[in-house]
Amino acid sequence: MQPTLSFEQAPPISVPYRFFLTAPLFGAVAGLVLAWFGPAALASRWSPGALAMTHLIVVDFMLQVMCGSLLQFVAVVAGANIWRPRLVAAVVHPLITAGAVFLATAFLLGQQVLFLLAALVFATALGLFLTVMAVALVRTPARSASIRVLRLAVFGLLLTVVLGVTLASTLGLHRSLQSIWSLPTLINVHVAWGLGGWALMLVIGVSFLVVPMFQLTPAYPLWLTRLVPAGLFLALCLWSLQLLPGTSAAQSWQSGVVLAGMLLAGLYAVATLWLQSSRRRRQADVTLVFWRGAMLALLALAVSWLLFLALPQLGGQARAPLWLGVLALPGVFLSVIQGMLYKIMPFLNWLHLQRQGGTVSTQPNMKQMIPERAMRGQMRLHFAALALLLAAVIWPALALPAGLAFSASCLWLEWNLVGAARLYVRFRNRIRAAAAAPLAPI
Amino acid sequence: MIDGRDMEPPEPLELALAALATLAPGAELIMLLRCEPLPLYSILDRNGYRYRSERRADGSNEIHIQKG
Repeated sequence: MQPTLSFEQAPPISVPYRFFLTAPLFGAVAGLVLAWFGPAALASRWSPGALAMTHLIVVDFMLQVMCGSLLQFVAVVAGANIWRPRLVAAVVHPLITAGAVFLATAFLLGQQVLFLLAALVFATALGLFLTVMAVALVRTPARSASIRVLRLAVFGLLLTVVLGVTLASTLGLHRSLQSIWSLPTLINVHVAWGLGGWALMLVIGVSFLVVPMFQLTPAYPLWLTRLVPAGLFLALCLWSLQLLPGTSAAQSWQSGVVLAGMLLAGLYAVATLWLQSSRRRRQADVTLVFWRGAMLALLALAVSWLLFLALPQLGGQARAPLWLGVLALPGVFLSVIQGMLYKIMPFLNWLHLQRQGGTVSTQPNMKQMIPERAMRGQMRLHFAALALLLAAVIWPALALPAGLAFSASCLWLEWNLVGAARLYVRFRNRIRAAAAAPLAPI
Repeated sequence: MIDGRDMEPPEPLELALAALATLAPGAELIMLLRCEPLPLYSILDRNGYRYRSERRADGSNEIHIQKG
């Protein structure tokens, strides 16, 4: 079936933009946390600095953009009715923002009450978001591969939130669930669903539509659009079996599940790179380069993880999970997100100006919404920051420059996105003024 | 004629809107696209253009547009 988009259901532009315009700021804060705490933040994945940075990135950056995009994407791709999108965005956006700040501060200061506040706020905000999204995705008549995978991704977010709220409440009440589950077991399953079941599944689902459509590649093979999401979902379900009593010690089958999950992720990355290499237009725009960088990072993540499994003396190092975390968060997800933001915002600017009566002569075209040089410069800084972050995992003395570079790349992204939003407002006002102006006398 | 099969969205739509602005009465704009352009259809409906779409052997769509 050919991909189609329906813009009749598209929510107001303020719905996605409020998420997009705050997200990079928290990436900048995460970079400053690293710069401030220095090598101590990179001692292990359990250091307060590492936990605070991680949640600033995964919640206040990634989740923000993903929620804003999903409200737009599901309406446009599935033609689905989102229940009162403006209201949902007005409730979910500030609550997620506050929740992640509570959580990051709780990790840094060890304040129990902040964990409880974060749990309460996330349960409310994401409970509403998930309900609205689930209703829209269940009711839509659309049956494309993208929609099937988005349903799995939303289920992945549900499990991530349930486990995350449980963890935050446990830390907040200082009450251990040791008699049922060890904390590391709960965290392992929470992280797997958050990064694999929600974030990666969402990227996969979205890519099945946007890679062929915007990068002018052949379509993903049908078998791959079935195997990768289903296989990943099955691997995550098997991984979650460690929550069952008496299974947490069974390490060998867990390694098998990780192996399967990483092979699937690697297969998806190779397939995407191969499709991109056979695209019909040779010109490589920033979105394409960001996607390629992300897929190379995903491949590096899969290879690193398999290497860590094969060489326990390497995989057992305290900083090994940080290496994987840097490849996953700034490497895979933030690269895809930034590449997509540079495509989505010009597109939404253009679309909404056009809907308000803009014409070819009264509104800028897609390529004029964000200057190409600014996007390319920011992209180079992002990949330089990624390289520095990876180097800082090996030589923690580099934590300060790595944190500052990452922070600067996020601020530059923010500057570029704000520029696009300001351009939209300027031309919208111009179109409105032209429509309201009295006809000139002949 | 706009061959938008190897263009990145929304470039075919941008070109179509530019061409429609100068389309003479009775003249026809033909577009070749790999997808069904639902956003274009809604714009055409709103502005009183007539159109018909044909599926070609290679799977692409050929859209004929005239002033209504």
